[in-house]
Amino acid sequence: MDTRIRLRVSNEKAYVWDVDDITTLRSKHHICGILTGTLPHLSQQNVFLGVPLVLMPEEVVFLVETELAIIIDDPRAHSGPSAPILQKYNDERIEAINLQISLVEAREAKEAASAGRAMSEEALRKRKTREQRKELERAKAAAAADSTESHTSLFVPDSSAHTSEPSVPQPSPTPAPTTPAYTVIVPPSSSSLPWYAPQTRTHTTLASARTAGVWTYPKTLHERAKCGVFRGLWGKGYFMGGGIKFGGDYLVYPGDPLRYHSHFVASVIDSPTSNLRPMEIVAHGRLGTATKKAHLLCGWDDEKQEVSYFSIEWAGFG
Amino acid sequence: MENHPSYPALSSVLPKYPRAAGALFQAYNDILFAQQWSDVEVIDLASCSRGAVKGRRPQTDETLCVVPCSLAESISTSWLHDAFKELQFPKEIYLAITSEDASIVYYKISRGIVKPPV
Repeated sequence: MDTRIRLRVSNEKAYVWDVDDITTLRSKHHICGILTGTLPHLSQQNVFLGVPLVLMPEEVVFLVETELAIIIDDPRAHSGPSAPILQKYNDERIEAINLQISLVEAREAKEAASAGRAMSEEALRKRKTREQRKELERAKAAAAADSTESHTSLFVPDSSAHTSEPSVPQPSPTPAPTTPAYTVIVPPSSSSLPWYAPQTRTHTTLASARTAGVWTYPKTLHERAKCGVFRGLWGKGYFMGGGIKFGGDYLVYPGDPLRYHSHFVASVIDSPTSNLRPMEIVAHGRLGTATKKAHLLCGWDDEKQEVSYFSIEWAGFG
Repeated sequence: MENHPSYPALSSVLPKYPRAAGALFQAYNDILFAQQWSDVEVIDLASCSRGAVKGRRPQTDETLCVVPCSLAESISTSWLHDAFKELQFPKEIYLAITSEDASIVYYKISRGIVKPPV
């Protein structure tokens, strides 16, 4: 079996959904990415994030070029499910909901039976009326559901409808039938879905992914420079993270970012002749010194496919 | 400029590279009079079309290389590489960045990935 990391690409962004793959990436390949998954009901929180892991495009290019990962064209790996499969999926879903509800009801019944203070006559009476009311509402809801079905015939053009008396407004169907609460399970990964077939939409090389229009990075000199610099720094054993907080392209860590502070902020320079303004050197150098980091100018030479590094620090005088 | 006491020491390179003359003149005077370096000398850095300055900081023995440039200039990594090469690859060079209001700032540039001091 192919043990390469599965990068699930959608809209030119690569996601890793498999936790084991995320572990391998970090511990074996020094690639961290960014966890972006959050909880549907707490989508604002950004402290504890989970799958999927999003990778920088340079990381993707590096992993595929070194044959550590494969690209899966994720949208096209999902085919339209056939009717029986969809039916089965729905049946299973409803079964799971019913199971949850019956478990909750069983628990409630047990609690009611073993209750102490809840056994007073008053409480029993109240509970009885409540249950009766629920029963009534449930029956009503069922009736409403039936009636909406029969109502559909009303929408069919009917000549007799014009002549008849305006009908008495029907009691509108109860807006929310009182189904007990249950948890909606959002499936995090497609792997278990019968209509998901990643094997058929896999690209093992960048060229193949590019031809298919799935992954086109790097397209420009600047993107090639970033990939080259990333590969160069990675080859020296560094871990790279996004550098936006310090005004660079990467933060460069001597080991896992959870264990080390970064020593460098790196900025990528497209070519040996690219313009470099002295003001950039001042700004980068000053910020780096204030944050105990040196700034790295990483110059890419597209002809030689080489990176040359310059480290900048404040001189300490003047 | 010609009447300035520093002019004789700079006269070999100032007329040769007029575009970089201001930056060199300012950096040289700052190093000599404000920073009070010793054994200050001017050298011709042809590959960068300018003069550079060598000298020692007070109470130190190491000779340092200073390459002046104006804030308005545009340089490149190959420019930096040329400077290192012509100065025979010192451990680092000091880029003296000058501005029109006579302020000056020095940044240390090293080749390769050099860890900052702890």
